[in-house]
Amino acid sequence: MKKVVMYTLSTCPWCMRAKKFFREHDIPFEYTDYDKADDRTKEAIKEDCLAHGSEMSFPFVKIDDKVVVGYNPEKYATLLDL
Amino acid sequence: MKQEDNWIFALKEDELSNGEKKPLLIEGNKVLVLKIDGDFFAISNKCPHMECPLSKGTLEQYVIKCPCHDWRFDVREGKFLDAEEIRVPIYETKVMEEGVFIKLSKEGAGK
Amino acid sequence: MDDEKRKEQLRTMFSKVVDPLGYKFSTDEELVEFLLEQEVNIEKEKGSPFCPCQGLTGEREHDMKLVCPCIPFHREHYDAMKRCWCGLYVHKDVDDPDSLMQISLKEFLESKNKD
Ligand code: SF4
Ligand code: FES
Repeated sequence: MKKVVMYTLSTCPWCMRAKKFFREHDIPFEYTDYDKADDRTKEAIKEDCLAHGSEMSFPFVKIDDKVVVGYNPEKYATLLDL
Repeated sequence: MKQEDNWIFALKEDELSNGEKKPLLIEGNKVLVLKIDGDFFAISNKCPHMECPLSKGTLEQYVIKCPCHDWRFDVREGKFLDAEEIRVPIYETKVMEEGVFIKLSKEGAGK
Repeated sequence: MDDEKRKEQLRTMFSKVVDPLGYKFSTDEELVEFLLEQEVNIEKEKGSPFCPCQGLTGEREHDMKLVCPCIPFHREHYDAMKRCWCGLYVHKDVDDPDSLMQISLKEFLESKNKD
């Protein structure tokens, strides 16, 4: 099973849709809400996001070592071989 | 209406030094008068973004930066530097007998 | 101030800002309501209606470019998607906002450099 890790915001509708997508496909995932995280976690997420593409856009979805920024069910499906 | 009727007294010429600005309420319009290099400019005092008073912003040459979210406008044409389609309304000014007058546009822009 | 009232004020102010840029509120009214509600809450907490879908870093220069509507600071990228990142605003000619995809800045820049 590929590992799915997500950075999200508690205020972002596309993050909610991304979570819904994985739930509906019975794919377990971990997520952290950047806006609700403590300072250290925030710093780590920020570094990850900026290193990937110099922006702070959410959802930020990691499927194993591949990253998808944004709500993109087709890409999620391809990376998960659905 | 005759054109000269639109000129309204704003302030005395010596009330502002170069680089200074003053907010005024002119016939119900919030107007900001500025003096730069000896010239007078008048713009709406309400930022086109969320209506913060530009009078509380910082002026650097012809550019005023809104105190709220740092949007920058050129006071000569009112252009927002990051997207010229957005403008803060401007008013014509003239100096007559030591007084600065401004012409309010008919639409009452900046109300 | 009453949240509902503030939401309507933001709607009025922001529509005046995005109109000259060629954008309008999305026709997905439920999404619009949700996002504006988030912005009202964010404004209460942080002082400005920051973007509900992008993260603040605490650096003023960065964060002020994420006050809604942030279109002027991400113009090319959003024009390519025909929507802003959150989808609160879409190009004026868009009637079916669901058909528009989020394209990350990275992908956008890569496709731009290819052309
Ligand atoms: S992405 Fe859209 S909703 Fe978010 S701040 Fe920018 S314009 Fe506003
Ligand atoms: S109100 Fe002026 S920049 Fe936001």
